[in-house]
Amino acid sequence: MIEAKHLYKNFGSLKVLKDISLNVEKGEIIAIIGPSGSGKSTFLRCLNRLEEPTSGHVYIDGEDIMDSKIDINKIREKVGMVFQHFNLFPNKTVLENITLAPLKLKGLTKEQAEKRAFALLKRVGLEDKSQVYPSKLSGGQKQRIAIARALAMEPEVMLFDEPTSALDPEMIKEVLDVMIDLAKEGMTMLIVTHEMGFAKNVATRVLFMNEGTILEDARPKDLFENPQNARTKDFLYKVLNK
Amino acid sequence: MLEYLEFLKWIFFDQNRYVYILDGLLFSLATTLAAAVIGLVLGILLALLAISHFYPFKHKKGWEKFNPLSKLAFAYINVIRGTPAVVQLMIFANVIFVGYLRDTPILVIASLAFGINSSAYVAEIIRAGIEGLDKGQMEAARALGMPYSLSMKEIIIPQAVKKILPTLVSEFIVLLKETSIVGFIGGIDLLRSANIITSQTYRGVEPLLAVGVIYLILTSAFAVFMRKIERGLRERD
Repeated sequence: MIEAKHLYKNFGSLKVLKDISLNVEKGEIIAIIGPSGSGKSTFLRCLNRLEEPTSGHVYIDGEDIMDSKIDINKIREKVGMVFQHFNLFPNKTVLENITLAPLKLKGLTKEQAEKRAFALLKRVGLEDKSQVYPSKLSGGQKQRIAIARALAMEPEVMLFDEPTSALDPEMIKEVLDVMIDLAKEGMTMLIVTHEMGFAKNVATRVLFMNEGTILEDARPKDLFENPQNARTKDFLYKVLNK
Repeated sequence: MLEYLEFLKWIFFDQNRYVYILDGLLFSLATTLAAAVIGLVLGILLALLAISHFYPFKHKKGWEKFNPLSKLAFAYINVIRGTPAVVQLMIFANVIFVGYLRDTPILVIASLAFGINSSAYVAEIIRAGIEGLDKGQMEAARALGMPYSLSMKEIIIPQAVKKILPTLVSEFIVLLKETSIVGFIGGIDLLRSANIITSQTYRGVEPLLAVGVIYLILTSAFAVFMRKIERGLRERD
């Protein structure tokens, strides 16, 4: 479903991604862990070309998104994204945040879009917030709305870029619960995260990234209980025993 | 006291001299309004050029980051902001509008000169407003599949307008006051009307004060009006 081939990304002289290749099948839930600055977020952002790879290819449903003739906007409709800082639109209500893209891009009528939005709001447990502006929401609520907004486009895959890193500890669970539900429904997900419990219990596959490469790619049980690489061992020791 | 009021009455109302002030006021307001419209339209265009992502040579080594549109906009802004308005005004009147164009009304020349002058400042205000927004807003819109133009229209511009408005208002207040240099090219505005009354009455203080008070009333009224609009915009979020 998603295939990355020999991705490189440089920021000036800084090499952030060095030859990353990855194949993601439908229904996989992939947690990407690793130290700060290892290129996790950059890699995720290359998958919908929010970040322009320096070289390499990304195929989504077989289409090369690096092809200059491709309509990247059509591809992005299939790839939902959730950000660390939510990035809700402050000038729009919760309902408008969710219905904007489906109305403008999918040709839905207002009733259809709103019906879909209310179903999603119910799913993330925030039906009563439809008329509220984002500034009135807590961090956890904002992130749940951001997930609903991405889901409103009915994407085939969801990218999560550290979705709980900016949240108060108490609010992390409410967001993870929504993500767990999504995983149970069979959504294909790539999640950059520092939540090791989530990576261990929910993911079907865990990638450990370090200095721009994927050092380890394994089932969660294997990676957490029997890491092969010394750097992985060191990282896990530090984050699990803090 | 009563004597002085009689005196004021003589200065301003004898031979209907207040009409000079009314005519001057009309000239100042018309120039400001026309210049503001020109400045706003040109300024928006310039700002869009300045922030554009137009890299025609991105496959040529060393030229990847060369954006001719943005370079052009910045060069324009630099020249206009780097020279005094009065110099620009006089260049327009004495260098450009000569020969066939000699009979162009001063109102038109002044509006163009002030409009072009203002556009550079407006462009910088708008550019700073847009670039000051959280980058995540554009990213979120693009990640949903919205094209650049739609993201600008729905997300970026509405937020930028709110941020820009107060600075834009002060730019237009500056513009109104700046039109008082139009006397240099023979325009008869509010300030010149005071000079005319002085020349007829030999009283320098009262006409100047009267004109100053009129400027103050105009700018204050404008500021209050805009603050009302701002408050209305802010209530939404």
